[in-house]
Amino acid sequence: MRKFASAATWICLFLGLSSLVWAESDIKLPVASPFTGQLATFGEGVKNGAELKASEINAAGGINGRSIAISLEDELCDPKEATNVATRLAGDQQVSIVIGHLCSSASLAALPIYRKAKLPAISPASTNPQLGKSSPYYFRNVYKDDFQGAFLARYISEALGWKKVAIFFETNDYSMGLKSAFVEEARKQKVRIVGEEAYTSETTDFTPQLSKFRMLRPDAIFIPGYAPQGTLIISQARKLGLNVGFYGADGLDDEIMLGNPDAEGLLVTTPFLPDGAGPEASGFIEAYRKRFGKEPNWFAANTYDAVGIAARAIEKVGTDREKIREYLASMNSPERGYHGITGLTVFDENGDCLKAAFVKTIRKGQWVSAEKQIK
Amino acid sequence: MDLQYLVDSLSLFFQQFVNGLTVGGVYALIAVGYTMVYGVIELINFAHGEIYMLGAFIAYHLVTVYHVPFFAAVVLTVMLCGLFGILLDRAAYRPLRNAPRLAALITAIGASIFLQNVALIKWGAQIRSFPQTSLPSFFGKTAFQAGDVQIGWLQVFMLLVTFVLMLVLHAIINHTRTGTAMRAIAQDKRTAALMGIHVDRIISFTFAIGSSLGAVAGILVGVFYNALWPTMGYTAGVKAFAAAVLGGIGSVPGAMLGGVVLGVAEVFGAGYISSAYRDGIAYAVMILVILFKPSGILGKSTVQKV
Repeated sequence: MRKFASAATWICLFLGLSSLVWAESDIKLPVASPFTGQLATFGEGVKNGAELKASEINAAGGINGRSIAISLEDELCDPKEATNVATRLAGDQQVSIVIGHLCSSASLAALPIYRKAKLPAISPASTNPQLGKSSPYYFRNVYKDDFQGAFLARYISEALGWKKVAIFFETNDYSMGLKSAFVEEARKQKVRIVGEEAYTSETTDFTPQLSKFRMLRPDAIFIPGYAPQGTLIISQARKLGLNVGFYGADGLDDEIMLGNPDAEGLLVTTPFLPDGAGPEASGFIEAYRKRFGKEPNWFAANTYDAVGIAARAIEKVGTDREKIREYLASMNSPERGYHGITGLTVFDENGDCLKAAFVKTIRKGQWVSAEKQIK
Repeated sequence: MDLQYLVDSLSLFFQQFVNGLTVGGVYALIAVGYTMVYGVIELINFAHGEIYMLGAFIAYHLVTVYHVPFFAAVVLTVMLCGLFGILLDRAAYRPLRNAPRLAALITAIGASIFLQNVALIKWGAQIRSFPQTSLPSFFGKTAFQAGDVQIGWLQVFMLLVTFVLMLVLHAIINHTRTGTAMRAIAQDKRTAALMGIHVDRIISFTFAIGSSLGAVAGILVGVFYNALWPTMGYTAGVKAFAAAVLGGIGSVPGAMLGGVVLGVAEVFGAGYISSAYRDGIAYAVMILVILFKPSGILGKSTVQKV
């Protein structure tokens, strides 16, 4: 009996130790994004998408027998916090690749630190055009703002036949970048821009500008800004009797819009649509619904794929930072690209990618895919 | 073609003027609160913008959580905010009545930050809006339309409410005993006390009136722009304070006029010059006026008592 007990102790000890050894050789995969604060709702999709992909990889045996351990790095979408997080990750030798960041401003702050530490990063959501060309270590599996702007110009002209539009933009980099890309493509599409007005982020009264637009009789108003102001603009326009279409980019893609009855029919671009995605996404959508009890948004879908890309890189070349970067940079043709739930991801020489954009709209207080989509 | 252009520009001018009056009326309602308090105790009550914000939120809370009918909610909110103004004075300012003015000013800033954070905890950071069904249906209807000019009932209602409240306030200040007492305190607090005026009670009353008007402004703005958020009091407060200074701080008609002038200048600046520099234009107007008339449009230039 005593012998048995001691044998059991040994077995337990061995198992315990071995599990410790296993835990140590988990592959640490940091995901940097705002998880608290004002933009926590965006971060929630990032967190869910990353955890879902990691648990699926681990359930299938991990990467070459090692599991992935996601670590959530909260940076509040604040450039200062992002710098702190990036510095910590750059110094951690167990980290071979970072998934993040979400906000372009946080990405811009973290980027020089990763470049210096030769640490590759894949952003699932930062759309600022400057990012990719600023560092060979920065990749993203989301399109850029200049693409979004040009895409919207093509969409309204080709799919909707709107030829007379007004632009109501915010005085920041994001909004003005989108606007200039839109204007350039609109010219080619023979779309007339009848008026351009600006606002600052503290503005709450948009009636003077909207009154001006009313006189210009546009088919639609383009709002390349963010949802908090966007929802006010749309409501005030309706109060002034301005019955035109409204459209914008990912900045307007927020739940606030769903609570605003005036925003019915608003069109926005999105990298991913649950009800318009290809067959490759159906498993993901189902698993996501089951685990989190809600529809996946594009943050979740893009993060899911970013984790997949990182996992494949580690599987192919191991955890050396430089080798991972080389591998990602070599994903430059459709054959070497990554087929994920958001379609094919191929990196160009800047680490940017060209991916399809979709258009969604609000119907009865819900986001649904717009009737017409263009290639 | 030319005639069409003329009609268009005239109607745009008229529309912008009404827009400016609406915004200006709101500034005036808030500015009166600043100016009255300054008149009696020479304190710039920086927490006044937060009372305006609380007005909007309390009405929102009553309407959405307790399903109080809109107009009843407005009356209740105005009363609550009036009480709240008294409480603010009792808790934060009265203990410092004889302290250096800087101490009271810092306390006012502290109270402002405190109230903002209370609202942030209670209602969260995101923008909220009154549910359409809770508002009187005539708000959404058009009151007046001629060509491209369109003015909604809500805008008419806002202008009317502002105008009536200003008349009532004018009557209170100039034709009641309390109003006379307020003016006496504004002139000389100590002498007023010697004449048997209950100074603290009158100061409380001043806070109550200013806060009630601020609450009305908050509700009107919350409904008109369809949005309320915890930091809304800050920008509105700064603008209204500028309006009070423009009109001559301490002068109630001055605050009314200052609010309207600032609102119209802002809207015309945004409509005719450049919308990106709207606030810049509004403040430039203010600076110009102050340069030429340092006491404000209706302010009395008094020699500093030594």
